[in-house]
Amino acid sequence: MSAATIKVPVGPQHPALKEPENFTFHVEGENIVKVDVRVGYAHKGIEKLMESKTYLQNIPLVERICGICNTAHTVCYTQNVEYLYEKPIPRRAEYLRVLIEELNRIHSHLLWLGVVGHEVGFETLFMYVWRDREVVLDLIEALTGNRISMAFATVGGTRRDLTSTIEHKIRKGLDLLEERTKYYKRTVAVDPTILARSRDVGILTPEEAVQLCAVGPFRRASSIKEDVRADDPYAAHDEIPFNIIAYDTCDFYARIMVRVDETLESINMVRYCLDHIPSGPVRVRLPNTPPVAEAVSKVEAPRGENIHYVRSNGTDKPARYKVRAPTSANLAPLVQTMTSRGKYDVYVADIPVLLAGIDPCMCCMDRSVKFIDDSKGKKWVWTMEQLKRCMSKNVVRR
Amino acid sequence: MSLQVEESIANEVRSFLGENLLEVKVPRPRRLYLKVKREDYKRAAKHMVEKMGLNHISTITAADAGQEIDVMAYLFGRGVEVMLKAAVPKMNPKIPSLTDIVPGVTFFEREAHDLFGVVFDGHPDLARFILPEDWPDGVYPLRKEYKVTRLKGPREVS
Repeated sequence: MSAATIKVPVGPQHPALKEPENFTFHVEGENIVKVDVRVGYAHKGIEKLMESKTYLQNIPLVERICGICNTAHTVCYTQNVEYLYEKPIPRRAEYLRVLIEELNRIHSHLLWLGVVGHEVGFETLFMYVWRDREVVLDLIEALTGNRISMAFATVGGTRRDLTSTIEHKIRKGLDLLEERTKYYKRTVAVDPTILARSRDVGILTPEEAVQLCAVGPFRRASSIKEDVRADDPYAAHDEIPFNIIAYDTCDFYARIMVRVDETLESINMVRYCLDHIPSGPVRVRLPNTPPVAEAVSKVEAPRGENIHYVRSNGTDKPARYKVRAPTSANLAPLVQTMTSRGKYDVYVADIPVLLAGIDPCMCCMDRSVKFIDDSKGKKWVWTMEQLKRCMSKNVVRR
Repeated sequence: MSLQVEESIANEVRSFLGENLLEVKVPRPRRLYLKVKREDYKRAAKHMVEKMGLNHISTITAADAGQEIDVMAYLFGRGVEVMLKAAVPKMNPKIPSLTDIVPGVTFFEREAHDLFGVVFDGHPDLARFILPEDWPDGVYPLRKEYKVTRLKGPREVS
């Protein structure tokens, strides 16, 4: 690295969105040549805390790992504990789990699409999408009693049942959501603002995606057709048909399209669930203490493969519980997409969309950025307005 | 229920490692738990990633098992999630790093190093990843001897 390299620290404060992280960008001119990442600012010690709580008490705790894709964690946790007992749960409960999981995915992807609109400077899209996201939140509230933290899945099944009134409400809501999502898909595909900020930005080649263990929509946007729901079907996914969405442009645009198309797939999956859900009980009672065993459970969270590991020791509390959320797997490929290499140049102006491209948790727009000139030892601070101005100039220049 | 793929993967590993494969379990479809010695951990992982098509490593983590620490790598491929486990003594928790086989595991190994003190030999940079800057050296919070009650009250700042 030459003397002209300047370090640009971004983070760790994230006033608007969750998950603070700290990136240090080494830049030469406008080119990012190296990225250092430091996480752990939101490390809550949940894995340690879970060892001191019973299996049932851990359900609300595990849900609080992530505010957006909480269903992925509760479903993964409860099925992991059920693996320890080696007892099947009622089929109706498995369908209900898929139902709530897909509703959660719709909400998560719409939330993300709104954030993308915000990051590329398309505020109208942000407002529109978040308005429509309220529709799916209302459906989740009708089914579970809560909008966000619903703790719907429990050990042995689900906590509530679906009634015909709620089913009717969900069908009506889905029609509206489908119409709106199709409209957003058309908008994203032709809008010049989005295309200028997303085409050929943040390339992750398929080889890199495999080597760096990318997961979820990020991996599928690099033209790899892999999805836990298809490769390792859990709950009722062995019966519910869906298409794995993959795009081959490997850029930020592909990441938008994968998520928009997945929202449409999820809407169809929810409809299939409503049409084919079997009758019967929604929960079996399991004893408080599982046998001594270990188990690995995986689900496809909105952000990708979510894997949990549990080891029991014959008491009513787990001996070890490990959670690997998808964002932590996507960190290494994210660093790769943000580094200029070979024929791919990455610029300072791309930082916000690249961070947003993985996950809304990491978006870095809401702060001033401090620049330090290594060679002169000079420091100065840019406000968000100045940073945005610099970005809009760069878009025109490129 | 047939478990053909799981068993053929287990047999391929067995023919590679022979008697050094300590334990094989297939608790349910699409799950395979293998236990190997610390010396065989890396070459087994390399063989599975490069020759057997298990090229996605979901994560690497550890668990406290009394006098030992179990290091576990989760490999996925051919529709089966394989857990490769190796025990290392707590007094000398060293194990080779897999970063040169699959570069994507860099952050998983740094996390396990932070929380359990497992030293991954050959890792390019085992710097602190998840714990705060002022966390004391040599204290590993996910080991059993570390009690949550230690966190209560103000912490001394050096």
